[in-house]
Amino acid sequence: MPRETNIVKIVGEDSYAKLRSTKCLLVGAGGIGSELLKDMILMDFGEIHIVDLDTIDLSNLNRQFLFRQRDIKQPKSTTAVKAVQLFNNSKLVPYQGNIMDANSFPIHWFGEFDLIFNALDNLAARRYVNKISQFLHVPLLESGTSGFDGYIQPIIPGKTECFDCTTKETPKTFPVCTIRSTPSQPIHCIVWAKNFLFNQLFASEPSPEDEVDTKDWGTTDEEEIKRIKQETNELHELQKIIVDQEESRIPDILDKLFIQDINKLLLIENLWKTREKPTPLTKTQLKTIDLADKKLDLNTVWSIEDQLSRFVSITVKLMKRIRTEKVIEFDKDDQDTLEFVATAANIRSNIFNIPLKSVFDIKQIAGNIIPAIATTNAIIAGLSSLVSLRVLNLLKYAPTESPLDLNMAFTAKASNLSQDRYISNPNLAAPNCKCAVCMKVTRGVLSINDMNITLGELIGKLREKYGFPEDISLLDSSEQRLLVDYDFEDLLDRSLKDVNLRNGSVILLTDEEGNEETGMVRKPLELYINVTDDNSIKLTLPPIDVEWIKQISEEDKKMEDEKAKQEEVNEEIIDGEIVILDEEEEEIPKGKKRKLDDEITSENHEMKKSKIDETDDGQIILD
Amino acid sequence: MSANHATNGTVKLSEEEIALYDRQIRLWGLEAQTNMRSAKVLLINLGSIGTEITKNIVLSGIGHLNILDNHIVTEEDLGCQFLLGKEDVGKNRLDATKTRIQEFNPRVNLSFDKANIEDMDASYFKKFDLVIGTELNTREAITLNTMTRQLNIPLYLAGSNGLFAYIFVDLIQFDAEDEKLRSIKATEPGKISQNREIISIDERISEDDDKIVYERIKTRNLYKPFQNMLDDATLNGKLTHRQLKRVSNALPLTLASFLSSFDDSSKETFETQTRNMCLKLGLPIETISTQYTEQFIRQRNVEFAPVAAVIGGALAQDVINILGKKQSPLNNFIIFDGITLEMRIFEL
Ligand SMILES: [Zn+2]
Repeated sequence: MPRETNIVKIVGEDSYAKLRSTKCLLVGAGGIGSELLKDMILMDFGEIHIVDLDTIDLSNLNRQFLFRQRDIKQPKSTTAVKAVQLFNNSKLVPYQGNIMDANSFPIHWFGEFDLIFNALDNLAARRYVNKISQFLHVPLLESGTSGFDGYIQPIIPGKTECFDCTTKETPKTFPVCTIRSTPSQPIHCIVWAKNFLFNQLFASEPSPEDEVDTKDWGTTDEEEIKRIKQETNELHELQKIIVDQEESRIPDILDKLFIQDINKLLLIENLWKTREKPTPLTKTQLKTIDLADKKLDLNTVWSIEDQLSRFVSITVKLMKRIRTEKVIEFDKDDQDTLEFVATAANIRSNIFNIPLKSVFDIKQIAGNIIPAIATTNAIIAGLSSLVSLRVLNLLKYAPTESPLDLNMAFTAKASNLSQDRYISNPNLAAPNCKCAVCMKVTRGVLSINDMNITLGELIGKLREKYGFPEDISLLDSSEQRLLVDYDFEDLLDRSLKDVNLRNGSVILLTDEEGNEETGMVRKPLELYINVTDDNSIKLTLPPIDVEWIKQISEEDKKMEDEKAKQEEVNEEIIDGEIVILDEEEEEIPKGKKRKLDDEITSENHEMKKSKIDETDDGQIILD
Repeated sequence: MSANHATNGTVKLSEEEIALYDRQIRLWGLEAQTNMRSAKVLLINLGSIGTEITKNIVLSGIGHLNILDNHIVTEEDLGCQFLLGKEDVGKNRLDATKTRIQEFNPRVNLSFDKANIEDMDASYFKKFDLVIGTELNTREAITLNTMTRQLNIPLYLAGSNGLFAYIFVDLIQFDAEDEKLRSIKATEPGKISQNREIISIDERISEDDDKIVYERIKTRNLYKPFQNMLDDATLNGKLTHRQLKRVSNALPLTLASFLSSFDDSSKETFETQTRNMCLKLGLPIETISTQYTEQFIRQRNVEFAPVAAVIGGALAQDVINILGKKQSPLNNFIIFDGITLEMRIFEL
C-alpha cells in the first residue's frame, strides 16, 4: 500500500489533496523547528519554507535531532533540510536569515503562505511575525517551550487572541543601588560583575562618565548617588591598567574593588541600619594569592582562595587578548569572560555574605540560559502539527465551525498545574478589545506598482473603498510622521515616492469626523505598502471591511494620550536600569501564565462545585 | 555497541558530556543525568511511536537501549517513520535503522534483537531495568506484563489508533520525590488518590533567599497489571457526573479495542464492546458519538507522526524521570485525543 495510506485514512482523499497543495512557512529550525519539520513532512504538506538565522552549537545536540557533532557552526536551516532528505516527500526551501529583515523577507513573500508555524526563541521575532500575520490575515501557529513547560496557540487574525493580546513578561530589572551598593542575592553580584564591572573594564572604549540623571537609582540618598558616580569614574583608572597591560597591578584592581570600595560603602551608615554589613577582603588575602593555575571543577563551588587565584589568572588572560581584540564582549560561551564574571561575582558575594555559586550555575544566570529538552519540543511540535489540520479545516468529521472552537494547549502535569491532565486544551479566546496590534486598528496590505500616484489620489481611493469621510488624517506610522490632516494639506499633490513612502512603509488612515447621528467613526486603517514589480498591478487595495466603532470623546482621548506618555516615560526608566535578561534562548511568554491560572481556577471551581453537590446525601446532583 | 563506554553510573560525567547535555542538566541536575547512564532499557517494536521514544531517550544520554523488532519495512511505514527512506522497503527494520539511531548519540550503548516477542522468555527480559512495549496486541501485552511483574521490572505500553492514542504504566510500586514551592497551606501526608499516597514531606529553605521554602514531597505510587486494569476499569466515584460527561470518547473506544481483536471484529461487536465498557466505566452511553466510533474504527491501528511525537515524547520523558529519580511518574492510563488535543491521566 502506498506511502500516504495512513494519512488518507485520517483526513480522507479530498483533504489529503489539499495538504499536498498547502504551502507553509516554518520560522525557526531549532528545538521545536526540527521536530515540526519532521512532523510536517510526514503529514505530506506540499511545500515548506524554513527560515533560521542561527548556526548549530554543541549544546543544541541534546534535542535538535537533525544535527550532528560534524554540523557544528553550520546554518540550521540548510543543515536541517539536508538531514531530512532520507524521508522527505515535500518541496523544501531553506533560508539562513533574520525573519525580521524586510529586504530578505518582504511582506508579499509572507503572503504566499497558507499557514505560518512559529518555532522561535525570542519575543521580538514572535511579535513581528504576529504583526505580519495580522496584516496578511494568514493563520499563525505560535509555540514555545522552556524545560518541561510548553504551549501552542493557534492565531486566526481578527477572530482569536493574537500573540500580543496578553501582556508578556518583560526583562527583569534591578534598581541601581541594589546592584552597586546593597546586593543581597547571587544574581545581584552576577549582574554587577557582568553588566557593570566587565563592561567597564573590557567591553567599552575608554570614555568619560555617561550616566544620565533620570536613572532609577532605587535610592534618594544623595551621598550614595554621589558615591556611585565617583566609583564609576574611578573604574576608568582600572581600565587603564587593563589597556596598558600592567600585569603587576592586578592586585590594585582587587584592592580597589574589594577593599577600598567596600570601605567607602561602610561609611554610609544609612545603608547598614537594617542590613548586615559587608566584610572587605584583607590585605593579607591579596598578598597570599596562589598564582599556580589549578585545575578546578566547573560544577562545584570554589573556595574564596581559588576564586581570587582564578580571578587573577583570567584577568591576565583577558589583558593579553585585549591587545589584539581591543574590545571584548561578554559571551557565556567564551570561557574567559564567563570565569572572570563568575569569580568577580563570587568574591563580591563572599564580601556581602551571599552564598557563592559554581561556574556552571553562574553561566545559566549570566547567559540567561533556559533549559531545553527533546521531549517537550517533540510534544509541542506534535500538538502544533495536529491543530494545523483543524485550522485548515481538513477534518471533515470535526469541522471548524468557528475559530473559537479551536484549542490551544499547554503542558499541565509537567508544569505542576494539574494532576490529572497531561495537556490542558482550553478553547481559543476572542481578541482582547484593548489589543493595539489586532483590535485598535484594521490591517491590510496595499500592493502598488506605480509610486507616482499622488497622496490625494490614494486617499480618494481609500475613502471610496472603505467609506471614510472628508475629514481624515494620514500618518506614516513606520516613521511617526504626519502626511495629511485637516490643516496640513501641503503634500496632497505630491507623489508617494516624493513623500518618501516605499516598500515596507506602513500608513495609518484615521477618521477625524465620524458620523454625527450615530456617534460612530471608522476604525483606523493601517496599510502595509508592498511595492511590486508586477506592472499589471497599479494599485490593489486589500479586500477587508473597516468597521464602525464608537467615537472616542476628546476627554477620553486626552486621558489615553496621558497614559501613553506615562508609559513612554516608564519605558525610558527601564532603559536606564540595568537589564539582565537578553532573551538568548527559548522562553514562554507571560501571557500563557494567565491562561494557566484561569484554567486552574476553573478546575478548582469544578472541584469545589462537585464537593458541594456530593454532600447532598452522597448523591451526585445533575446540573 | 560503542567502544569504551562506561555503563557504571558511579563514573563521573566528562566535561564534554556536561557540555553536550548542558540544557537538560540545568533542568534535572547532574545526579539524574548520571543515574540515567546506568540504566538498561528494552524497547519492543520500532514503529512510529517506538521511533519517537528511541530518538528522545538516545538523545537524552541513557546508558543502554536494546530494541526488539522483527518487521520488514513497508511502503506505508515511509509515511510515518522518519528513520526510513524509500530504499529501505523490503529490508528488516532494524537493519535499516541501526546506524541512524547510533548517530543520534554515539555515547549510548545500543543493541538490537531481530526476533519476535512471543519467542522471548523471562531469561531475556530479566536483563533489563525497564521495558517499553509499543503497538502490542492485548494478548502480547498481558503476557509481557505478567512477566515484568514476576521479574519486578517497570513496564510502559503505548499504541495509537490514528488520532487517538494511549500510554499504560505499571511501575508496580514507585516512590517519587518532587520538590515544589510551599504554598500558604503546607502539604500534609496521606492518600491523595486511589493509587497515590504522600508518605513524607521535608522542607528546604532556598539558599538564595531564606523567605523561599520548598517542600520535598515523597509520594508512593501503586500500580495494577494491565489485565486487572481491563477487568476493573471504572471511573465511578472518581469523577463527578459533569466530569464523566466530558470524558473523551477516546477512552471507552481505546479500552474496548483491547477487548476485541482487530482482525475478526465487526463494527457491531465493536460497538457492543464500547457500550459495555461505558457501563463499566460509569460513562453515560449517550456521550458516545457515532462519528467518533466510525472514525476510531476507520483509524484502528493507523500510525500518525504527530500523534507518535506527543505519545513518544510523554512516555520517554516519564522514563527519563523515573531513571533520573525526578518528578512524579504517570499513573496509570493516559488517553490522547488528537482532535481536541485533550490528554488526560486516568487512575484505572
Ligand atoms: Zn491582539
